[in-house]
Amino acid sequence: MAEHDDFTAKLMEDMPDDLLEFVKTKVTSFIKWDLIRFFHENPDTVDTAENIARYAGRSIAAVEPELEELEASGIMQRKLIGDKSVFTLTDDPEMRRLISAFVHACEDRQFRVKAVYHIIRGMQ
Amino acid sequence: MLGGGFLPQSANLVEGAPGTGKSTLGMQFIYNGIVKYNEPGLILTFEEFPQQYYADAASMGWDFAKLEKEGMLKIIMTSPEVSHSDLENVGGIIETYVADMGIKRVVVDSITHFERLTTDPIELRNIQYGFINALKREGLTSLLTKESATLLGESANPNSDIAFVVDSYSILRYVEIDSAVSKALLVLKMRGSNHAKDIRQYEIEPNVGIQLKEKFQGREGILSGNPRRSMADAFDEAFIK
Repeated sequence: MAEHDDFTAKLMEDMPDDLLEFVKTKVTSFIKWDLIRFFHENPDTVDTAENIARYAGRSIAAVEPELEELEASGIMQRKLIGDKSVFTLTDDPEMRRLISAFVHACEDRQFRVKAVYHIIRGMQ
Repeated sequence: MLGGGFLPQSANLVEGAPGTGKSTLGMQFIYNGIVKYNEPGLILTFEEFPQQYYADAASMGWDFAKLEKEGMLKIIMTSPEVSHSDLENVGGIIETYVADMGIKRVVVDSITHFERLTTDPIELRNIQYGFINALKREGLTSLLTKESATLLGESANPNSDIAFVVDSYSILRYVEIDSAVSKALLVLKMRGSNHAKDIRQYEIEPNVGIQLKEKFQGREGILSGNPRRSMADAFDEAFIK
């Protein structure tokens, strides 16, 4: 296990600290990755978990818990509109900057490989 | 054709089949409002992703991403149920954007999605009526798109009540003439304005959007989707030319 942790640390060491922290603590699943990218590309989306699941082409059972974890980690906000609970992207400029940095970093294959490795390690 | 354009704080319905240019007309309405009249705009989309709007607008030569950064445009992806609830409540998301940005124009793409909220036509009319009135209450001039399932010919949904609720009703149609497909625009209803009654051809052109062309000359039955020569033209063709 220690060997794995060393390898992970080595693999991620050239990432900027804030991005490394973002990947390690917030992008803990592929569904979260998809949702982060979706909300980065469509930042004024305001909708229920059920409809967001539809936009993402996934089931609500898979998406709702991930949205709740993204809310807990400060990436999403939840609001009550009438009797409907809806999710929006956070208004926090620093978090939006990190999201943007993450999405742009993902354009680099090496970064993606590292992030994928991190998620798989986290899922094991 | 609209006798001076849409009236302020009016609700305007544009119905058409896929590809006739409903969304393009909506984007053109928003873009012209911003660049010609300094009126910020809002697009409420219930199906198409905002990033698709940026791409479609860019293909027309309109930089929607820049306009959003400048605070002149907002594209919100949401659903009919959420936007309806949002407008019913004081201090909702749409109301806040309208107040903060000074939004004057809104495109709702498409109003057809409200049909998934209920199967009861009376309840649907009440929901749509309330939604349209809420847009007017916010001082917005709205363009509402409506999907038509039929590519050619008469509309497939004669039971739609929304045409009675709106202030203007225009239709975009495909028309087959001489084995080629043209597009036709007709204004069926325009409250408070002496609108044109003729059926006009149009094309979608970069940097312009929907560009009106000449009337359909010497043809009858344009709205059937399969027009024929008018009697006068047919007589000319047979005996004079």
